[in-house]
Parts: sequence; C-alpha cells; structure tokens
Amino acid sequence: MLDIEKLTAGYRDAMVLRDLSCHLDGGRVTALMGRNGMGKTTLLKTIMGLIRPRSGRITFAGQSIESLPTYQVSRAGIGYVPQGREIFDSLTVHDNLRLSLLGHGLQGLERLQKIYEWFPLLKERETQKAGSFSGGQQQILAIARALIPGPQFLLLDEPTEGIQPNIIHDIGLQLARIAKETGLGILIVEQNVDMVRTLADHVMFMENGLIRESCDIDRLKDDDSLLHRYLSI
Amino acid sequence: MTDFLPVTLDATSYILILVLVALGLMIVFGMMGVINMAHGELFMIGAYVMVTTQTAGLPFVAGIVLAPIIVGLLGLIIEMALIRHIYHRPLDTILATWGLSIALKQIIVLVFGPESHSVIIPVEGSITIGGFSYPLYRLLLMGVSAGLIAGTYWIFMKTGFGLMARAVIARPGTAATLGINTRRMYRWSFVIGTALAGLAGALVAPLISVDPQMGLGYLVPGFLSILVGGAGPLAGVLVGGAVIGGVNNLLAVWISPVAALITVYIIAILIIRLKPEGLLGTRREK
Repeated sequence: MLDIEKLTAGYRDAMVLRDLSCHLDGGRVTALMGRNGMGKTTLLKTIMGLIRPRSGRITFAGQSIESLPTYQVSRAGIGYVPQGREIFDSLTVHDNLRLSLLGHGLQGLERLQKIYEWFPLLKERETQKAGSFSGGQQQILAIARALIPGPQFLLLDEPTEGIQPNIIHDIGLQLARIAKETGLGILIVEQNVDMVRTLADHVMFMENGLIRESCDIDRLKDDDSLLHRYLSI
Repeated sequence: MTDFLPVTLDATSYILILVLVALGLMIVFGMMGVINMAHGELFMIGAYVMVTTQTAGLPFVAGIVLAPIIVGLLGLIIEMALIRHIYHRPLDTILATWGLSIALKQIIVLVFGPESHSVIIPVEGSITIGGFSYPLYRLLLMGVSAGLIAGTYWIFMKTGFGLMARAVIARPGTAATLGINTRRMYRWSFVIGTALAGLAGALVAPLISVDPQMGLGYLVPGFLSILVGGAGPLAGVLVGGAVIGGVNNLLAVWISPVAALITVYIIAILIIRLKPEGLLGTRREK
C-alpha cells in the first residue's frame, strides 16, 4: 500500500533520511522505533509532504505522492497525528472534527456519528474548547480528527508522549480495534514498548536515517535484544 | 460640550470606515503574515472606480458594485504574480508591496493626472437629531460600514470558510494535513481583503477629495488599529479602530489635530511596549 524507495530528505543541507526504503501493508499496524534524532519524525513529515524529499519515491495505493502538496496527500487517504497533537486549542471539539471534514469536502454526519461511537468522550464534550482538555483527551481528539475523513492509512507520531499510562493502554486498545474493524493501515512512531506490544503487528527499527531491521511483534515478546540494540533499554 | 453629539457621530463614522479599511489589512496580515503597504492604494483605486463610473454617467450603486469586483480582481492578480512567492516573509512583503504601492500611484497619475477629483454625494439632505442636522449620507455610510463589518465577522466566525481560515491562521501546516488547501485559502482571503479596501474607497469617495495620495491617510491609522487591537481576533481590529479613530477624531476637535496625532502615537508606543500582541491579540499557536 505505501512504498518508499531510496528516500533522501532532511532540513536544508542536513540530510536525515539517506536512501531509505521500506514497504508498508494496508490493514497492518507497523511500529517504527529508534532513538531520538534517528529520523522517525522526518520520515512521517516527508510522507505527508511537510518536508520535500531531495530524491526518492513514495507511492501510495499505486499513486506517486512525493511531489504532492500536503493537503493532496491527506485527500489521497493518509491521516496524520503529529507529535505534540497540534489540536486547535481555541476551537470546540466539534469544530476540530468539522475542520477535517471540510478539508476533505465531506458533509460527514455519518462519519461524525462513527467517531462519537468510537470515542464517546468527544460526543459528551463536543461543545467544549479543545484547549481545556487534558493531554490524553487532546490525543484522542487528534486521533479522531485524523480518522474522521476515513483514511486508508494513518501515521501517528509518538501518541503516548506525556500521557498517563492508563490512557495509553486505552488508546492502544481502541486503535487496534479500529484498525481491525476498518482495515486501516497504521505506521506508528513510538518509544513506549507496552503500546507497541498492544497495538503493532510488525516493528521496524530505525538508525541514522535508515531502516536497519524489522521483525514481527512476536519476536519482541520473547526477545529484548533488538530493544537493547536500537533503543538502549 | 454642546456639540457632543455631532462630534461623536463624526468620530463613529471615522472609526467605522477605519475598521473597514483595517479589516482587509488584518485579514491579509493575520492570515498570511503579509504586511501589505499597497493596501492604501487599493483603497484609492476603489475611490477612482467610483470617480470613473460617475464620470461615465452610471449610477452610484454601479460604483459600489464595481469597486470591490475590480479591486478584488486586481488583488487576485497581485496575489498570483507577487504575494504568493513571499508568504510569511514580512520584510520581503514590506519591500515588494511598497514598490507596488508606488507603481499603482504612478499608474493612477498617468491615467487620471495628479489633480484631485470629487464624487457627487448620492443622497442629499440631512436629518435633524436633537436640534442639529446631520448629513444623511454620513449616517447611511455608518450603517453600511457596520453591516459590512458584521458580514465579515459572520464569514470568518460562522461559516466553514471562516473556520478553515482561522485554522490556517493558527497552524497552517496542521490545517494542510487535514486536507485544507492552504494556498487557496490564502488567495481568497487576500482577494476578500483587497475587495474590502476597494469597497471602502468607493464608499468614502463622496466625502473626501480623491487624489493619488489619499491612500496613505488611511493606511497608517489602519496599521495602528491592528497594532493596538491585535492581529488575531477580528474583535481586536474593532477595539483598535475605536481607540485610534476615536482618540484621533475627538482630540482633533477638542484640542488640536497635532495633539491628537501625538496622543495616538503615544498610545501605540505604550501598547507595543506593554502588550506587544495588542489589546485583544493572541500569539500564534505553536
């Protein structure tokens, strides 16, 4: 579904990704792990068109997307939950969700109902300003906002950062349920091993701008050596 | 103080026109970070559209309809040819739009000459209020300006376009990841801003002398209104316009125009020093 070939990208003259290649299947949850500064966020931003690649190719569902503007990448069916959530603090929960529908030219009453079914908290507080939410609630809103137009693939950048452990587990279970129910493919950048074990089918380890190793989640359940090597834990 | 009511009405009229001019500036600056030094010239071109329609024997309403259309189209061309290349580069936009303002002024001088022109007031007569008479057109202008300000507020606070515009102002990158075409939003917001300037010029034309330098007289207080009120919420421009326009107009009558200008600049300096984001302004979300 999402193919990346020899991708080189970065900031000005500092290239963070160097000839990175990988393949991500639809309907599967892949975790991307690695120490800070290895290029995980840069990879997600490059897929979304927020960073222009120096060279290489990104193909999504058969369509070349590496030169598309960000809004067209989103409309092609890739949802994005950025690091730090980036919800619109001054807007209500409902308006945060409505923005995503407007951006995709959707009326979306059914989509909204589905989101409220998945995340009842948002229905209860739809008129509340998003800025008044706790970190975990804001993360749920950011995920819901990315899901509402019905993407085929979802990119999540460290969704557990700064969130209480009990909420992390709930978010992981709910995302796994949604992925199973909708056939959604997910690429999640994550440092939290419990979250990865709850949610992911597959894990890729990143170092110095390259995917160094990948494995099924079962291997991580029995063997911590990859975590020692790539995360120093 | 027996003249309190006419002076207050004059000040209100000036404030509403100032807010109308500043609204266009604020939309363009708040959304795109573009400091449009040519905004005064777009206001001036709106007035010249009115001069031209009246010279051609067309009714006043034709000028009111044509001014925002023509100036809006000019805004579209300016955005496509110049502004889109320098979004979010304030220093570059100051230089580029300053150059544009000079070019637009010279084009007007070449076409219409350097002399001033006048526009006949479309509604003669006055209304007697509390023992004194006040020109009917000024009252109408106040009503129309208030309606246009309310309409702009409604577009930006109550419609889907406005919701997307506010999202683009706050976090352009995030808005794009939600499928919002930010470049298109910038373009149409710029066109709305310039069309408002053109309309304001056409509306004010019967009250002032229309000449190639007239834009500057509204550009400076327009910028000061944004500075004082804050570039974020639309309400900020209203407050800024009320402070700048009110102080300028009332003190000019009660003390002197020089004292009024000095006070206005002192207020602006104090607000920059004590509240750099303006009275109602908010810092851009990170």
